[in-house]
Amino acid sequence: MIRRAVPLAGLALALAACGGAPQQQQAPASAAPVALDLKTSTAAAAKGLDRVTWNLPYEPQTLDPIRSFNYAENTALANMCESLLRLTPDFTIEPGLAEKAENPTPTTWVYTIREGVTFWDGKPLTAQDVAASLKRHLDPALGTWWSDYFSTVEKVEASGPMQVTVTLKQADVLFNQAMATAAGAIVSKEYAAKKDLGSPTGGLMCTGPFEFGAWKSGDSLAIVRNDAYWDKALAARSKEIVFRFIADETTAVNALRSGEVDGQYFYLPPAGLAQLRESTTGSVTLGKSLTFWTLLSAAKDGPYADPKVRQALSLALDRAAISKVVFQGTAAPQRTLAGAEYWGYERATFEQAYRALPPETQDLAKAKQLLTEAGSPTEPITIAIQGSAATHDQTANLIKATGEALGLKIEIKVVPVEQYGNLYSDPKAREGVDAFFSTWYGNVPDPLDIYTVFQAGGRTNFNGYPAVDADIKKARAEADPAARAALVTGIQDKVTRDVAWMPLNNLPVILYMSDRVTGAVPSFPYLYYPWAAGLGAK
Amino acid sequence: MRFLLKRLAGLAVVLLAASFLVYGLLYLVPGGPMAFLLGNRSGTPEQIAAIRAQYHLDDPFLLRYLSWLGDALTGDFGSSLVYRQEVAALIGSRVATTVLLVIYATVLISAGGIAMGLLAGLRGGRVDTAIGVLSSLFLATPPFVIGVLLAIVFAVGLGWFPVFGPGEGLLDRLYHLTLPAITLSLASAAFLARITRASVREELNREHVETARARGFAERHIVRRHVLRNASIPVVTVTGLNIAGLIAGSVVVENIFALDGLGSLFVRAILQRDFAIVQAVVLVLVTAFVLINLLVDLCYSALDPRLSR
Repeated sequence: MIRRAVPLAGLALALAACGGAPQQQQAPASAAPVALDLKTSTAAAAKGLDRVTWNLPYEPQTLDPIRSFNYAENTALANMCESLLRLTPDFTIEPGLAEKAENPTPTTWVYTIREGVTFWDGKPLTAQDVAASLKRHLDPALGTWWSDYFSTVEKVEASGPMQVTVTLKQADVLFNQAMATAAGAIVSKEYAAKKDLGSPTGGLMCTGPFEFGAWKSGDSLAIVRNDAYWDKALAARSKEIVFRFIADETTAVNALRSGEVDGQYFYLPPAGLAQLRESTTGSVTLGKSLTFWTLLSAAKDGPYADPKVRQALSLALDRAAISKVVFQGTAAPQRTLAGAEYWGYERATFEQAYRALPPETQDLAKAKQLLTEAGSPTEPITIAIQGSAATHDQTANLIKATGEALGLKIEIKVVPVEQYGNLYSDPKAREGVDAFFSTWYGNVPDPLDIYTVFQAGGRTNFNGYPAVDADIKKARAEADPAARAALVTGIQDKVTRDVAWMPLNNLPVILYMSDRVTGAVPSFPYLYYPWAAGLGAK
Repeated sequence: MRFLLKRLAGLAVVLLAASFLVYGLLYLVPGGPMAFLLGNRSGTPEQIAAIRAQYHLDDPFLLRYLSWLGDALTGDFGSSLVYRQEVAALIGSRVATTVLLVIYATVLISAGGIAMGLLAGLRGGRVDTAIGVLSSLFLATPPFVIGVLLAIVFAVGLGWFPVFGPGEGLLDRLYHLTLPAITLSLASAAFLARITRASVREELNREHVETARARGFAERHIVRRHVLRNASIPVVTVTGLNIAGLIAGSVVVENIFALDGLGSLFVRAILQRDFAIVQAVVLVLVTAFVLINLLVDLCYSALDPRLSR
């Protein structure tokens, strides 16, 4: 551990940290396009360590897979519980606990369970465990967070000792892909029946490279190496990973710089990112990601319900400035909601379609022309932002300035943090709100996973965007990749040209590791893949 | 004895009122725990209905409060909505950290504040001025600024103390809690120093002190017998009130130093509308508050028999 005695420099930094990210009111005149080197791997470890300390952005609410659909929960769970399929660090889907996934009829998925896999307690994995784990999503009282992928499931049954058959109400390719996320995570049958599964007292029983060790509520969660793990290629290098729960960003950055914590994933650039980048005791890696920053549309009437107005605003935006001002230069501008990382099949088709779309760069002249065509509306557009969130505040200021330059009146409505979540779930909370900001991510490498939000009657189709409903249904039922890619690019075309939601910037994974460790997965699949298995000493 | 019984009856009434008030307030605040039970992106109507029924979220207010009260009287404080764990377990593991932090800070406040106050009051002159300036500085700086500065200088910069966490075992815990306790105590210590100084000054100018001086008693004897004894009454009051205030102040400090105390749990529970946790923490805090006040009163009667009735 290197310590530097620089209290004076420390004071200056502290004062800078209190000021938060530098506020630039003047957006730079079209910054150069952001070229980022995004990774999917880090240098392999030379040897394992006895203990690695890792920070989570907050304490997991639970490790119950059916309610693990958020950063801290999945970061920990991904090392312990494996799914039927596996999402690899470079965004491909491979067999996992299922050796084979077959689709004998459009509405059935048959999973052949891998032989020779044991739970941490030594009991073999069978179809009974898989069926019990999947069935938990079908019980409304258990409150799965993965209902988007299970809404089409009619029944799950063990159709053989090592075979599970899932019957769907309608054909759905996304269901099968979701089996590569925590939605397809398998716990033992005995644990699946536990009321307190995934709590500090209840614990877990899975098959992954790390076992649930001890969870001291409020303090730490330890996971320990499973020496009997079936997949030798992914066997854990280090003996123990201890997760801490430092929620305060400044404190987390301090703990990383002092070496008390070896690493952390950030889903948004912390205010102290510059300090981490300049740290002499560790380094920052940016990883490929499925996460993006977007302006969600909620307007069913008024100017923002007019696609031409949305196009005008989108064209007038300087996304490079957003990257620079709001995300400290980490977030590449995007022209579509689902970026290149989503192209898990038929890459050429997606790439061609992407090139044909309007670029993500600014075009003020064209924007003004579009606004005139839309009848130069005078009614203001209301954008809701989350209180005390710098990303929201700064992006909103940029958009407001852009609107003024165009001749669009934009009003900002601040919603307190604890009520912001209601915008997603409660139509009443969205009254009088035309648009609101959000980070968003799909879970699997298929752009369709993002565009399904525009299904008619979908809970997140806030503005009731109607144009792609039929195509989404067709695409979800289309097993042939080429035919599906054709449908999905068509959907993407409409959604993008109408600016159903406004794509802004891609948000890479920000991984910090101390010089003591290396080998963590820096890309988005860390949420579902045993990213700590390769973690060890340089 | 009668005095104690009276106080305990009073405590019960206060607890009942506080629990009703907090329950009612939480009930009135917009936004429920649903978002935390289902996440922002999911929740079919059937799911929402099932969960509302499971947690009795649709029962009328009074019914919910009374059923909570009934359970609480039998010692069952329910379980957390969000964490699905027994409240007793969640709180139990966190009480130790907060109690230790508050005791540590109290010791620092009492020792530091009273020593500074006596020094300023008895010495006067330049010492008095210097202590006055210092205490103004401590009083004016918000605890989160002090905490961040201490962490940057003494933890990250010099590496003398850990940046975060509560530690394990008593010595390690005290070591971990040093910076948080200093953060928590500076403002209160400064306040106590001022109060001590003022009451020492006041006592020094009293008639009986003048008389004692005229009679030729030694200064040390006068200070001990006449000044300190009488000056200590306001000091005890302020210390007692301060400890109660520390419990609230610990929320900020626990956040800065990532300590798993009651404060951080409490704030999160309020944000997540986790009724059971909020209620239980409030009861613990109110009880602590009342007991500390009782302790202060007992100290009074020890110091000045005339005050006890």
